[in-house]
Amino acid sequence: MTSSHAPAADLVELKVKQVLEDSNTDTRIVVLKNDDGSETLPIWVGAAEGNAIRLAMEHVVTPRPMSHDLIRSFAEHLDVKIQRVVVTDVKSSTYYAAIHVASTSKGVDRTLDARPSDAIALALRSHCPIYVTRDVLNRRTASNLDAWVTKLETKNIET
Amino acid sequence: MITQMRVKGLIFDPYNNAYIVVLRDEDNSDMLPIWVGKSEASAIGLALESVTAPRPMTHDLMKSFLDVFDAKIISVVITDLNDNTYYAKIHLTYEDSEYTIDSRPSDAIALALRSSAPIFASESVIKKQSSEELEQWLENLKPEDFGKLDS
Repeated sequence: MTSSHAPAADLVELKVKQVLEDSNTDTRIVVLKNDDGSETLPIWVGAAEGNAIRLAMEHVVTPRPMSHDLIRSFAEHLDVKIQRVVVTDVKSSTYYAAIHVASTSKGVDRTLDARPSDAIALALRSHCPIYVTRDVLNRRTASNLDAWVTKLETKNIET
Repeated sequence: MITQMRVKGLIFDPYNNAYIVVLRDEDNSDMLPIWVGKSEASAIGLALESVTAPRPMTHDLMKSFLDVFDAKIISVVITDLNDNTYYAKIHLTYEDSEYTIDSRPSDAIALALRSSAPIFASESVIKKQSSEELEQWLENLKPEDFGKLDS
């Protein structure tokens, strides 16, 4: 990593594995995993946010631009590159994220606060990496999480 | 020809389980109802009531994206109506250049309200929109179907 924009060493890269439906609450669960599958980060998001992520995962092109396509389109017109998104914090089960953007013409980079759902929806459309800090991974309520996700996945397949 | 419109309110449409953004021109002679989904309506509703969410919502992110690079929204225009679907364009300036970007009206309106940018509708859209059908529909509405109106 020679670039000055390279993320710090305490970041773990994650990929979106799936978006599950939590039919009891009309929310979606975005399941993020690292490369070898040893770390799982599930993030609860609203139905609309979950759909925005699912559309990007399935490379669905909608007839009209959706909200995150519009942000992509702003980035293209302004010649701004979306470099990476980072899940930076968790407080009372609420996750926080940052989007790192850089303007090639102006030679400046900036960080934008965002909800993880927006950050992920934008990352998938921009083909940029998604990271989580080691600190957030350690602080998630991890005890029975993996078992819970496995159970949910099975249920999801059955129905 | 374009006419400046103002967002007069949001109405819940119980038959379609959707919301209607009601745009009106200055002298209330023209009305443009635009059907939007629940999350789009909430993005517009929050801006109408100047509510700041604890975390940035999608259109707050959009605005901060434009703000950090000093890009400014000049106006948004509802440009076309085809098969009951509206189309919009967002006009912005960035480094002495002007850009026009395709958008859904709901995104354009949500962003315009957050940027205090004017909202316009093209004359053809206002003409195409037959108000007869809407008026009939409005007559069937019960008072409790109405959401928050700003006037």
